[in-house]
Amino acid sequence: MNLTNFGLAKRFRDFSVMAGLLFCLAVNDAPAQLTIEIIGGGANQIPVTILPFAGEERFTQRASQIVSADLQRSGMFRLGSVGSVRPFPVEPAEINYRYWRNEGAETLVIGSVVEKADGYAEVRFRLMDVAKQSQILGFSYTVTVAQLRVTAHKIADLIYEKLTGDTGVFATKICFVTKNADRFELQVADADGYNPEFILAHKEPIISPQWSPDGTRIAYVSFERRKPIVFVHNLLDGTRTVLANFEGSNSAPSWSPDGRKLAVVLTKDGSSNIYTINADGSGLARLTNSQAIDTEPSYSRDGRYVLFTSDRAGSPQIYRMRADGEGEAERMTFEGGYNVTPRHSPDGKSFIFIHRNEARFNVAVIDLASRQMQILTGGSLDQSPTFAPNGKMILYASEVKGRGILAAVSSDGRIKQRFTAQSGDIREPAWGPLLNNRRKEQ
Amino acid sequence: MRNVLFVAFLVFLIAGCATQGGKSADIEQRDLFDQQQAQRQQEAARKQETEKQAQVMREQDELKRQLEEQQRRQQGQVPQQEQPIVRPLPDGTVGESQLKSDPWAQLKEAESPLSKRSVYYDYNAYDIKEEYVPLIEAHAKLLMAHPDLKIIVQGNCDDRGSREYNLALGQRRADSVKRAMVLLGVNEKQTETVSFGAEKPVAFGQDEESWAKNRRSDIVYPREPQ
Repeated sequence: MNLTNFGLAKRFRDFSVMAGLLFCLAVNDAPAQLTIEIIGGGANQIPVTILPFAGEERFTQRASQIVSADLQRSGMFRLGSVGSVRPFPVEPAEINYRYWRNEGAETLVIGSVVEKADGYAEVRFRLMDVAKQSQILGFSYTVTVAQLRVTAHKIADLIYEKLTGDTGVFATKICFVTKNADRFELQVADADGYNPEFILAHKEPIISPQWSPDGTRIAYVSFERRKPIVFVHNLLDGTRTVLANFEGSNSAPSWSPDGRKLAVVLTKDGSSNIYTINADGSGLARLTNSQAIDTEPSYSRDGRYVLFTSDRAGSPQIYRMRADGEGEAERMTFEGGYNVTPRHSPDGKSFIFIHRNEARFNVAVIDLASRQMQILTGGSLDQSPTFAPNGKMILYASEVKGRGILAAVSSDGRIKQRFTAQSGDIREPAWGPLLNNRRKEQ
Repeated sequence: MRNVLFVAFLVFLIAGCATQGGKSADIEQRDLFDQQQAQRQQEAARKQETEKQAQVMREQDELKRQLEEQQRRQQGQVPQQEQPIVRPLPDGTVGESQLKSDPWAQLKEAESPLSKRSVYYDYNAYDIKEEYVPLIEAHAKLLMAHPDLKIIVQGNCDDRGSREYNLALGQRRADSVKRAMVLLGVNEKQTETVSFGAEKPVAFGQDEESWAKNRRSDIVYPREPQ
C-alpha cells in the first residue's frame, strides 16, 4: 500500500491544463493546478544549503529544486546561497569545507541523478555537516523516472526530520473539491499541489471528503442522486460503494482509527444524529440520541473519543463523547455563539475547529489540558480545517474576493501558506495520512 | 527485461544490506518502490481509465439521446399520427370551476399565495416567521384537496460557517415546513424533505442581501408542468 504509487499510475495530465507552479521555481513542464504562496515564517529558521544535483537537469523533475521548494514552503528553513564554485561537488571528497563555511553554510545537501536502463534513474543525496566535515545522512534510490518527484519529496522528508526532529509530510497526498461553473471534482494531489487528478466529477455538489487511515480510500458526500449520500471510493481500483443511503440526509463521514468503521450523520430517525457503520455499509448503530442537531463527528487517534458539533444548548458548540456512546457528552467550547467542525490533533492533545469571531469565521485551536483557545487564522470565511499527519500544519478552505482557495497555517499560527487554483473555487480539503512504511518509524 | 531489472535490483539490494553493517558504507540502499506493486497499480489504473472512458461514453450517449429527443420534440417528429389525438371538449358549463380544481392552474395564478414557493429564515434559525404562515396554509390546503399531489421541501442555507452544520440546518428548515403542513392536516406521505445545505445558492454575493436569499426552504411540486 504505497500511497505514492497510485498517483503515478493514473495520469490525467491533459485535464489539468493549468499554469505551472509559480512558486519560486518554474522547473516543471508538467501542468500543475495550485499555486503556493508563503506568508510569514518560523521564528528560528534552520539554515540549509541545497546544491543542484549533478545530472538532474536532464529530467523534467529536478530533484534538488523540489527538495528546496518543499523545505522553503515549510517556513522552517532558510536556504543558503549556492555559491560561485563550479562544478558543484557531488561526492564528499569534492567539498571545499572552508569555502562553504565562509559562505555561511552549516549544512550542505549534495547529490546526483543518473539515468539507468528502461526508464529508471538513480538518485543519490547526502546531507553534510560543514563544521564537522562529516555526513549526517546519505541515501540512494533507484526509481522510475516518473517517481523522481516523489523521491525528491522523500529526500525533503528525511532532511526535515533530521534537522527539526519532526516527521516530514512532503511525500503525502491531499484531496479537495474544485468547482468550475457547474462541474464539481473531487481531486487528489501531492501535498505541494502537484499532480492533481480527479477521482470523481459531477454537476452536483461533493462535500466532506475524508481519507481512510491507510490512505487507500476516501469517504465523501455526493448530491448526485439529488440528496446527500455517503460513498466510499477505493483509490487503488477506482471502484466505489454506497456507504450510507438511508431515508433523509446522509453525511459527515469520519473514519475510526482502525479504518474498520465510520461515524456518519443520518436524519432517518428525525433530527441529525450520529451513527456508526462498518466500512462495507453493514452494522449500523446509533451513537447520539437527541432532538437537536448532532453532526461533524471526529474520532480521536486512539479511538476512545468522538468530538462533534451540537446545538443542544441553543447555539452550535463542540462536544466530546465516548466512542462507545456511554456516559454524558461533555461540552468543550464556551467562547462565542458559533463553534463548529471539530478535528482531533494527531497527538490527541488538542483539537481545531471553526470559531465565529465577530463577523469572521476562523480556525481556532483548544489545548485539551489547559482548555485555552487560540485563534489561528484571520480570513473572513475559513472552513473545513484538516491537520497534516505530523500535526504541524493545518490546511483549510478560505475565501479571497469571493473565490474559494485553500490556505495552510502552522499549528502555532506563525507560518501561513495560500494555495490558489487558476480558475474556479477550491474547497473541502483533507490531508492524507503518512505512508505505511513511514508510520512504523514514528 | 523488467524481470531482469527486478532481479538486478534485488541483487543490488542484497549487496546494499551486506555493506550496511560495514562502517565504510556512507550510502545506504533503501527499497522504496515495489515494482510488482507498481505494475499491479498500473493495471488497476488502466482498468479505471477504461471504466472512466466507458462512463464518459455513456454520458455522451445519454446527452445525445436527450438532444435528439429534444430536437424531435421541437420538430414535432414524435410519431403522433399513429396515435389518435383525444381531447376533451369543454362544455361551457364547468369551464371556470374545472380550472379552479386543476392544481397546476391554481399554482400558476399570480395573485394566489400558491404562486409563492419560498420560506425565508433568519441567520442560523429554522423557525417559520409569521409572514410565511399564509403561504404554508395555502399549499397545505391544496395538498389536502388533492391527496395525489406530492411536494418536496428543499432546505437551503447561506454559505457561512460549516458546510455540514448547514446541511443539518437546511434539513431542519425543510422539516419545519413539513411539520407545519402535517399539523394543518396534510398527509405525511405527500411531503418529502431534502437539504442542500449551502451547496445550491441562488445569490452569490458576500452580503446580507445574498445571504438572506439563500436562507430558504423551497416548496417544489416534482410533477408540475413547466
